[in-house]
Amino acid sequence: MAGAFDFTAAVPLLPFAAFLIALLVGHFAPRLLPKGGAIPGILATAGSLLLSAWLALTVSQGTYHTETIYTWVVGQNTFDLHFGVLVDPLSAMMLVIVSLVAFLVHVFSLGYMNDEGETGLPRYYAGLGLFTFSMLAFVVADNLLMAFMFFELVGLCSYLLIGFHFREAGPPSAAKKAFLVTRFGDYFFLIGVVGVLATFGTSRFLAVSEGVESFPHLAEQALLAAQGEGATPEHVAGFLDVVGFEPQTWFAILGLLILGGVIGKSAQFPLHTWLPDAMEGPTPVSALIHAATMVAAGVYLVARMYGFYALLPTVLAIIALVGGFTALFAATMGVVKDELKQVLAYSTISQYGYMMLGLGAGGYIAATFHLMTHAFFKALLFLGAGSVIIAMHHNEDMWDMGGLKEKMPVTYYTFLSGSLALAGIVPFAGFWSKDEVLYEALIYGSGESPILLAGYAMGLLAVFFTGFYTFRMVFLTFHGDARTDTAESPHGVGWNVKFPLVVLGVLAATVGLINMTPVAKLTGEHIEFLKDWLAGPQGSAYANIGYEHYHHLLVDFAGYGANESLGVLVPAAVSLGLALAGAGLAWRLYSVPEPVEHTEKLGGIKTVLYNNYYQDEYQVWLAEGVTLPLARAADTFDQGIIDGVVNGVSSVSLFAGGRIKRIQDGIVTHYAALLTLSLVALLVAFGLLGGWF
Amino acid sequence: MVELPPLTPQIVLGVTAIVLFGVDIVAPNTRKNGLLAGISAAGTSLAAATAVWFLAAGTGDFRFVQFDGALVVDALSLFFAFIVGSVATLVVVASYDYVREEDHLAEFYSLVILAATGMTLMASANSLVTVFVALELASLPSYALVAFLKTNRGSVEAGLKYFLIGALSSAVMAYGISLIYATTGTLLLDDIAAAVTGTELGGVLGLGIVMLAGGFAFKTASVPFHFWAPEAYEGAPAPISAFLSSASKAAGFAVAFRVFTTAFPLDAVAATAVDWSLLFVVLAVVTMTLGNFAAATQDTVKRMLAYSSIGHAGYVLMGLAALQSGATDANSFVLGASMTHLLVYGFMNTGAFLFVALAEYWDVGRTFEDYNGLATRAPVACVAMTVFMFSLAGLPVGGGFLSKYLLFAGTVQAGFAWLAAVAAINSALSLYYYSRVVKAIWIEDPSDDLTLRGTPTGLYTAVIAAGVATVVLLVAFDPVAQTAIHAAEVLFAL
Repeated sequence: MAGAFDFTAAVPLLPFAAFLIALLVGHFAPRLLPKGGAIPGILATAGSLLLSAWLALTVSQGTYHTETIYTWVVGQNTFDLHFGVLVDPLSAMMLVIVSLVAFLVHVFSLGYMNDEGETGLPRYYAGLGLFTFSMLAFVVADNLLMAFMFFELVGLCSYLLIGFHFREAGPPSAAKKAFLVTRFGDYFFLIGVVGVLATFGTSRFLAVSEGVESFPHLAEQALLAAQGEGATPEHVAGFLDVVGFEPQTWFAILGLLILGGVIGKSAQFPLHTWLPDAMEGPTPVSALIHAATMVAAGVYLVARMYGFYALLPTVLAIIALVGGFTALFAATMGVVKDELKQVLAYSTISQYGYMMLGLGAGGYIAATFHLMTHAFFKALLFLGAGSVIIAMHHNEDMWDMGGLKEKMPVTYYTFLSGSLALAGIVPFAGFWSKDEVLYEALIYGSGESPILLAGYAMGLLAVFFTGFYTFRMVFLTFHGDARTDTAESPHGVGWNVKFPLVVLGVLAATVGLINMTPVAKLTGEHIEFLKDWLAGPQGSAYANIGYEHYHHLLVDFAGYGANESLGVLVPAAVSLGLALAGAGLAWRLYSVPEPVEHTEKLGGIKTVLYNNYYQDEYQVWLAEGVTLPLARAADTFDQGIIDGVVNGVSSVSLFAGGRIKRIQDGIVTHYAALLTLSLVALLVAFGLLGGWF
Repeated sequence: MVELPPLTPQIVLGVTAIVLFGVDIVAPNTRKNGLLAGISAAGTSLAAATAVWFLAAGTGDFRFVQFDGALVVDALSLFFAFIVGSVATLVVVASYDYVREEDHLAEFYSLVILAATGMTLMASANSLVTVFVALELASLPSYALVAFLKTNRGSVEAGLKYFLIGALSSAVMAYGISLIYATTGTLLLDDIAAAVTGTELGGVLGLGIVMLAGGFAFKTASVPFHFWAPEAYEGAPAPISAFLSSASKAAGFAVAFRVFTTAFPLDAVAATAVDWSLLFVVLAVVTMTLGNFAAATQDTVKRMLAYSSIGHAGYVLMGLAALQSGATDANSFVLGASMTHLLVYGFMNTGAFLFVALAEYWDVGRTFEDYNGLATRAPVACVAMTVFMFSLAGLPVGGGFLSKYLLFAGTVQAGFAWLAAVAAINSALSLYYYSRVVKAIWIEDPSDDLTLRGTPTGLYTAVIAAGVATVVLLVAFDPVAQTAIHAAEVLFAL
């Protein structure tokens, strides 16, 4: 009987088919395309969603599935390159998230794009289809190279979609920036992929059978051998000899190289600068980028190869610190933004910082949990923002809004649900996952790895700012009096906008309940469903290679030890208290009929914050002040010296050729004389050399 | 059962020449171009086929000493008999059209065949006397052939210059031979080898060796004995240019290979008289550089090909330059590579000159510009010419790529990486002037009045046959290279 695994390839291929339909029919017979391509996209993503749910059910039995689809390079005496799928709880969960969000975004687009009379719809839906396809294929990839290829395709699609309104000035520039900045990170990723293939001879995430190894496992064996247990795998030992590094050092270098791609895609400091600009894209696209696809890809990649990162304490610490710093850094910038989507953009950067912090702090479950809850509440917030933007006739400035609460109640209550989740107010989704991330950082930090405490501190501080900017946004948008005529009589929104909002609003409120770790610890009840699900049932095939295995690696190789003496209640209460304090401050300042800007009170910091800590400025300076002169120098070198040598050689040749031509003057006596003289010269030279005289 | 004599290819060629004379004596006043060309082609192709048959049958695995050691038949002589025979076949087939209007056709064909006989004998010569005689047998008909177009000033002038320089070179060579005889008391190569070991007259011997090398340099058109080549190739009827630059050059190398490896073993001569491999290093570098540089500045295609022919002589000289005492395997490899290149070169260079013959037949002119747009009128021949040019440059469209590669690799393997690098640079330069021809015939627009008169069957057949052979040598390269390396092994196995 055909099981769910037989249809794995169909999950990404359905949106791909929708892409082809939107592209080809949209080009050759646009009149045959219902709703500009939205219907095929909705059907395809709904199909993917159903299949993903079926896959998720199947893997909950503790099985997992690997399959090689197509080997596109067959190596002689070396490794093959192939496309394959890997379905395990992690990828199944991600498949559900991606296809659900993609489905809802497609539906929402009916209201945001079709009803607003946008042109170029087939292009838009083709982009969405390709985007969904790339992300789903990235999620099911069973090897790093395939993951890289679809990672790049995701980047390309976001470029195409951010620049959808290519006739305006902003979007093309934002698209280019997103493309270039993430490409900068991907450059390191590419080198990392090559390094992994060269070092291990494979880039599989999971071993398939005896002899078909996975690279995290080979790395583990090599490190064990370095500690004196067992032998280094032959291929790895050979390559380590070539590079001349200790295995620990070399693997850390590889891990950091791949992390370059992650930092670019997941918009972590210092490569986060593309993300706020990416708000130039249509709002549903922002929802897709931020919640489920582009930005999520980086964090997902770290989770996917967690068996590798768990071996490397240095890299884990870097991940944790980058994550914690980004969480705080982005949250402070979100505080002063005037535009609805800008606030959300910085909140995305900040939230992905939490996930990185969780991964770096050994909280694999926590980070994955936060990835899921964030996908729902951030998609919700963006779609809610989209709804507001429709109502406001595409004005995004929060100072022009106010008082929308009564006029669009569905949007308000769902948006509020998402905001409570984002701010981390119990019992909404974000509270549980964010609290778990912080808790993991705290127990490992106060245990064996004190450096994580720095990450924890930054993450904790960011909670306050998160609460503040979230509710500043809510109050400015929905509360008080309407500050403009448009806000006085907003544009209505249809079912296709409300339906996704309601679905996500319910999820944002409830999805956190599937992994209530603090409650579980306090009551002793067995209610950590997500954890059980990701780890697999005891004794099943997956249990030995999933979470339990990562945990052993963290303890054995990274030296992580938890401080079990800490209770769960106090840390949870602290973070909740901070979130409430932030929200309360926002309420105090902005929940008034006529709110005013309070940024003047920040003094000099205000300018710094408005300018996003001059991140863009220094990166532009790096490009213009350092890279450009270097490139000019290289160009001068190439034009002047390399080309000069080449040109010089050719002119010398032609000149010498001309001289030789002149010797051949056609007078035979000259020839005889030259011939004889040359012979004499040869005779004298060899005579002297051979000692004839 | 009667066994054929080992010298069958040479005998076949000699008999063919006599038959040609006989036909002319019987019927002196009738036009018989077809008959004469047919007899010649039959003779030359029979000689080439016999050589291949002998090689395949294993005759070349042994040294068949003839006439008390004056001549010898082994793989080397058969290999070069094949080269000379096949080039001569292409040349006589092409000449059928080229000399159709001329007088004295019987003399033309018999001179070609006699020269071919001389060249095959050069490959077999095992005594300095036969070396000299065979060389003169090849040279004297060549002088007459270059000057064959008696009413054409260029042809006559070229013939005279060729003869004068040839006479001077022969004199130098004969003097060298006399000095060697004075030192060793013998003219047989094997005996010379025995006598040079420990000779006290190293200076005289060295003088003799360098002068002998001068004689071979003349025949192979190497610097500084190359002065005749551009003039002779340009002035001569184009099929004769093809013959001289391919077959005659190959024969010159054949005799040089045999004389130097047999009579003057490097380990014995280098210490006492002269390190002749160093001499050839110098000659190789100067020859290839001069040839290629001069070719780059020429205006006429035929003269460019003449200089490129000098350049190729430089490449082949690396086969002698890279020889070292004691390194038998590397020596066989690099010498075999040289021989292979000569064979491939025989086809591609002959084909190129025959294309020029075709252009002369059509009277389109001599310069690169005159060739503009030829491909629009004669696409098939131009495809063949493109193959020749790119193969000569060493691009993988013909056997020239592999033979050059083998030669350079052999040189590197023998420890002369810098020499191979010089050759590679020269080779890169050569791409410039070869592609000028290709650009002219394919890319440039033809002048309005470019019309071609007829499609000469013989010339076309020869050009296309040479083109096909060049391409086939790319795919069927391995047996040729194996045979050549084997021939070199037989030579070194003394």
